[in-house]
Amino acid sequence: MTQRWVLDEIVDPFGAKIVVERDAIGAVRSARFDLAGLPRVDALLSGQQTAEVPDLVEKLCGICPAAHHLAGVRALEALAGLDDITPTAKAVRRLLHLGSALETHAPRLLATDREAAVALKRFGKAAMVASGSPGHFPVTAIPGGVRAVVTSEARDDLAARVADVLALTIRVAEQELDRSTTLPVFSGADVALVNTDGGPDVLGRRIRAVTAQGATLISGAAASAWDMLVAEEFPGRAAPRPFLMALGPGQGRYRVGPVAQLRVGELSTPIAATLQTQWLLSNGDAAGARAVMCVQAAEEIALLLDNPALSSGEVSVPVGDFQPGAIGVGWVDGPRGLLVHRYQAGEDGRLAAAQILTPTAQNEAWLAELLTATATDSTDPLGMEDAVREADPCLPCSSAPVGGMGLQVDTVSVEGRN
Amino acid sequence: MCVGIPAKITAITPGLLPMAQIDLNGELIEARLAYFPDAQVGDFVLVQNGFVMDVLDEQSAAESLAAFAALGVLADTEQPASSTS
Repeated sequence: MTQRWVLDEIVDPFGAKIVVERDAIGAVRSARFDLAGLPRVDALLSGQQTAEVPDLVEKLCGICPAAHHLAGVRALEALAGLDDITPTAKAVRRLLHLGSALETHAPRLLATDREAAVALKRFGKAAMVASGSPGHFPVTAIPGGVRAVVTSEARDDLAARVADVLALTIRVAEQELDRSTTLPVFSGADVALVNTDGGPDVLGRRIRAVTAQGATLISGAAASAWDMLVAEEFPGRAAPRPFLMALGPGQGRYRVGPVAQLRVGELSTPIAATLQTQWLLSNGDAAGARAVMCVQAAEEIALLLDNPALSSGEVSVPVGDFQPGAIGVGWVDGPRGLLVHRYQAGEDGRLAAAQILTPTAQNEAWLAELLTATATDSTDPLGMEDAVREADPCLPCSSAPVGGMGLQVDTVSVEGRN
Repeated sequence: MCVGIPAKITAITPGLLPMAQIDLNGELIEARLAYFPDAQVGDFVLVQNGFVMDVLDEQSAAESLAAFAALGVLADTEQPASSTS
């Protein structure tokens, strides 16, 4: 069946809607953010040429095209049974991903540090261009590697600027860490990609999950284990309520993104790791976590620019065919958190099924918990805004200035709509 | 999933909170330019929930619109439709 969207439902200027459920005496039962404006595309992808699916998805999203680009290409590689790529391909892809993270986070800093916001946006874009993606939609990666190395001229240009960018990210982080938060602690787990040491890695090949109390639920599972790790309580819905299968629906709720990344393990770069410690001690919020991850990105880019593999070496390895029935999972930790592309190969090179699980969908349960706590304590709309800003759904309201989010709150009684 | 549909700015109302009139698949809508105050008439942009979220080069906009066309997902506004799968 063909799915069609009405534009008004996707671009409605007042589409940021919260639904509060109250019982017969008016007490808050629950609150949630309505994700109807973020339609699932999974069903549309079935029957498309498998090799073209990542390209298609990134052009539908447009907001985080680099994350979709890399997750999709990784999924294709998994479908073909490819386990590893060359050091050069890894380095170039990482430059694209880190540049995209800085470029994505930068506009959020406009209110607190305009100079830093502008500089990070430009530098992030320059890193993406250097990695081979000059347009809005990245073309850096191909199944098996990347199209080209970073030229020495582009590398030298970035190298001349990266120290200043790192200093700006540190300045922003120090400002953010000075602020305290009063938001409730999430009762679910934190999930992020990690390196072989268990530390957060935005292009990690392992996934780690820890409880709110710090116990390890998943220490380092590979993408091939995805179907045994996470399931959707409401498959196919815009808000599917994914859960960790080891704990089951509800109990297995989890969040992803910078907050989760800082809670699953120690960062690998020295300045960011020091700031991470401060953030943990201060019970830091998402804005602080984003700022720390920007420092990590800048430090990582500085290291990359000293890596000879970035500008020389084999760019790709051969990739085999997609066997009908094969399942491939590709993931990245994007600016908002874990993004998963799960493809099932069909006949004649066409896709049999797809699952695109976004950070916003995975964080919906966290946002609902924040909104429920806020709605229970008060009807202050600014409190609702704080909750939305913390969980950071992929909607422009997340970036709105204080008081400007334009949230619509619908109250629903347990017997029916008021 | 967030959906970014390329659209073309046809007019801009300047001011403290500049607004753009935007042609989105033949429908004229209003969007806030808070994040891209330097956008110009004729620019292709991505709009979500009433805000311009990004400015695209013309080729990227054409590629994205081709993807939407290939899937045939954008309904005429008068057609009944479901927004979720």
